[in-house]
Amino acid sequence: MWGCDMDTILSVFRVEILIPWLLAMILGIFVGAMPGLTATMAVALIVPLTFHTPPIVGLAMILGVSFTAIFAGDIPATFLRVPGTPASGAAVLDGYEMNKQGKGPLAIALDLTCSTLGGTIGVLILITISPILASFALQFTHFEYFWLALLGLSMSAVITKGSTMKGLISMTGGLILSTIGLDISTGYPRFSFGSTYLMSGINFIPVMIGLFGISEVLRSISITSHDQLGDAAIISNVKADFRSVGTIMGRNKRLILQSSLIGTLIGALPGAGADIAAWVAYGMAKKTSKTPEQFGTGSEEGVIAPTTANNAALGGTWIPALVFGIPGDSITAIVLGAMMMYGLKPGPLVFQGSRDLVNQIFTVAVISQFFLLILGYLGIRAFTWFFKFPRNVVLAGITIFSIIGAYALRSSVFDVGLVLVFGILGYLMERVTIPLPPFILGLILGPMIEENLRIGLVKTSGNFWPFFNRPISAFFAMLLLLIFLYEPIKILIQRKRN
Amino acid sequence: MKKAFLAFLILTLTIGIVFAGGAKEAKYPTKPITIICPWAAGGGTDRTARFIAEQLSKKLGVPVNVVNKTGGSGAVGHGEGAAAAPDGYTITNLTFEINVLKYLGYADLTPENFIPLIQFNEDAAAVIVSAKSPYKNVKELLDDIKAKPEGTFKFSGSTIASAWDLPRIQMLMAYGIDPQKVKYIPTQGAAPAITELLGGHVDVLTCSYPEAAGQIAAGALKALAIMADERNPNFPDVPTLKEQGINVVGGTWRGFAVPLKTPELAVNTLRKAMKEITETQEFKDFMNKAGFGIKVRVGQEFGDFMINQYKALKPVMETAGYLKK
Repeated sequence: MWGCDMDTILSVFRVEILIPWLLAMILGIFVGAMPGLTATMAVALIVPLTFHTPPIVGLAMILGVSFTAIFAGDIPATFLRVPGTPASGAAVLDGYEMNKQGKGPLAIALDLTCSTLGGTIGVLILITISPILASFALQFTHFEYFWLALLGLSMSAVITKGSTMKGLISMTGGLILSTIGLDISTGYPRFSFGSTYLMSGINFIPVMIGLFGISEVLRSISITSHDQLGDAAIISNVKADFRSVGTIMGRNKRLILQSSLIGTLIGALPGAGADIAAWVAYGMAKKTSKTPEQFGTGSEEGVIAPTTANNAALGGTWIPALVFGIPGDSITAIVLGAMMMYGLKPGPLVFQGSRDLVNQIFTVAVISQFFLLILGYLGIRAFTWFFKFPRNVVLAGITIFSIIGAYALRSSVFDVGLVLVFGILGYLMERVTIPLPPFILGLILGPMIEENLRIGLVKTSGNFWPFFNRPISAFFAMLLLLIFLYEPIKILIQRKRN
Repeated sequence: MKKAFLAFLILTLTIGIVFAGGAKEAKYPTKPITIICPWAAGGGTDRTARFIAEQLSKKLGVPVNVVNKTGGSGAVGHGEGAAAAPDGYTITNLTFEINVLKYLGYADLTPENFIPLIQFNEDAAAVIVSAKSPYKNVKELLDDIKAKPEGTFKFSGSTIASAWDLPRIQMLMAYGIDPQKVKYIPTQGAAPAITELLGGHVDVLTCSYPEAAGQIAAGALKALAIMADERNPNFPDVPTLKEQGINVVGGTWRGFAVPLKTPELAVNTLRKAMKEITETQEFKDFMNKAGFGIKVRVGQEFGDFMINQYKALKPVMETAGYLKK
């Protein structure tokens, strides 16, 4: 399907394309590394600038900024435990643990290479089999999304280390919080207490920044002894370590492929994006790992899975966008709007009518991966500079950037309040060893599970049967059952043998 | 002598203050203007707001910034816009939702909380079905809905009580069908609703024609009617609902307003500048390319339009069961 020729490839290597493209990718590093600033926001700001340029310039900028931003979100996630973008939530788990053991440079180098590789695989799938995948994605409706969300939520059981009960408490907290806001199926404001801010629900981005980031700042400043300061999370010398990356990746070829596929598939679904892809890839990696006990303690596999999947998901989101003109996520939704401004009618005809442009998009997407490798490395180096400051300055800096980022999200002081409240909550939760990730999963997936269940039931007039008898629904239901029954069955079989 | 000096000082200062105040009155704008957009960055309302902000900035010679205050189905942005300082430096991008916020119980806001500046856009709802469906016009579809048992047909388009949901209810009511006879599948906007229709998970879609234009051109979907007063020159083949004997007009619109008590000078300056912008070829090209319909109503005409629509929606909201008691 890729009518690739040298002319198309060379046509994107022109100064008037390359300069804005690279500038956008550099912007992406900054936006991604700033907690609260998301890739979607960067794309929304870039689009009006591109109305007077040829379409490919704008599209190259959008592709570039989104790929670098999703990777750069992992930089503060690894070094500071602050996810830079929502898609980096799962990258916090093992990346930060590795960093605590002084292996931060290795973690980020692994992360960058995996992001690039995952991104490339996602784009290659986009180029080769997007029409098939897009038709497959159209089969998904409320019944299937319900199971997918439930599968995601069950990952909170998989990723919890230590007490399952405490994991459940955390997840339930997130679920309860997610019920605040307008109920989509009736439009009724729930638990809003008359506040218009609560009516829009608790946004998970400020909650995530608070729970992970601010709570870590609080933990750091609560360490009084000077000896302990040395072990504190924030290290003074950040450098990407590429030496051992090759060997590690060689060991985990299957995992990289598996995570890329999960990422691309989930990305291709219009109802789920890079953030859910990363969590599911992480959970599946732990489930299929030979050493699941190492997850959450600085496991290499725990870094590879989510960081590969979130970049792979980006290629996936373009699949329904290019084939059907349906946005795969909030970024491609903006892209489709921009395409109209470029005079292209997004939809199935773009593929036939603007063959050259589609080929140029593919070329740009592939080459962006190489640029990502270089610019990502430079981005890590730039981050090093930030750590040369004394620790108290770094901690203050994190706090300020977290607050600015939360405000920038939708110019709301309410969100700044959320960051602070959840910072304190996160600190307290960790003091009593309640894990934080299940809380975030509950908050993100709660509305998705509820909406899809309820609207699905509206469709069927209250009949539960379509949740089980549609092929994809049935598959997900079985998968879920398998995840939970695998361990007990394994134990049962072992007992019988003995 | 001292007293005389003091008196002189007070006099000059007073005159100075009055003059400075007067100068402020007489000159507008002197500092950056903010446009509050109640919807997310990158969406349709945001794109039009940013375009007009750029043009307005050129015209008035001060920066014009767009700030997205999203949430609560538009309640957050409209609420902050109405409560902003009435000095002419905060403009609110009003959308259709201002007419339903009070009925839904989301906010105590109506068009009467604003001084209207200008309306620049109107997009009629279109009735869209799969190209494979047997219906050739709206009447065939509605007759079939009448004939089939309750709950057979699933409609979609956007959220509950949105600009795409309410015209659907009006259409059904006008044809003598109880709106509860069909199901409404709420989505977070037209794009996911189009996905549902393409996947065959719903039967009918009500949203603007341009939102589904790509699918219609590709032969996957077809439009049976638009709910406008007359046919749209951009897609002249689609008949109006009125032509087919159903007297219903509906859809979304966008415009600008300032808080009550804003000085007359600011109101008039903004109205004049915005009216001039809507007359430029650049504006028309932008709107056409982006698929937004142009409809200009200035000042009181815009205000009257909003109030009339606000009043007319009450029985519709009541029948649909959306009215908060």
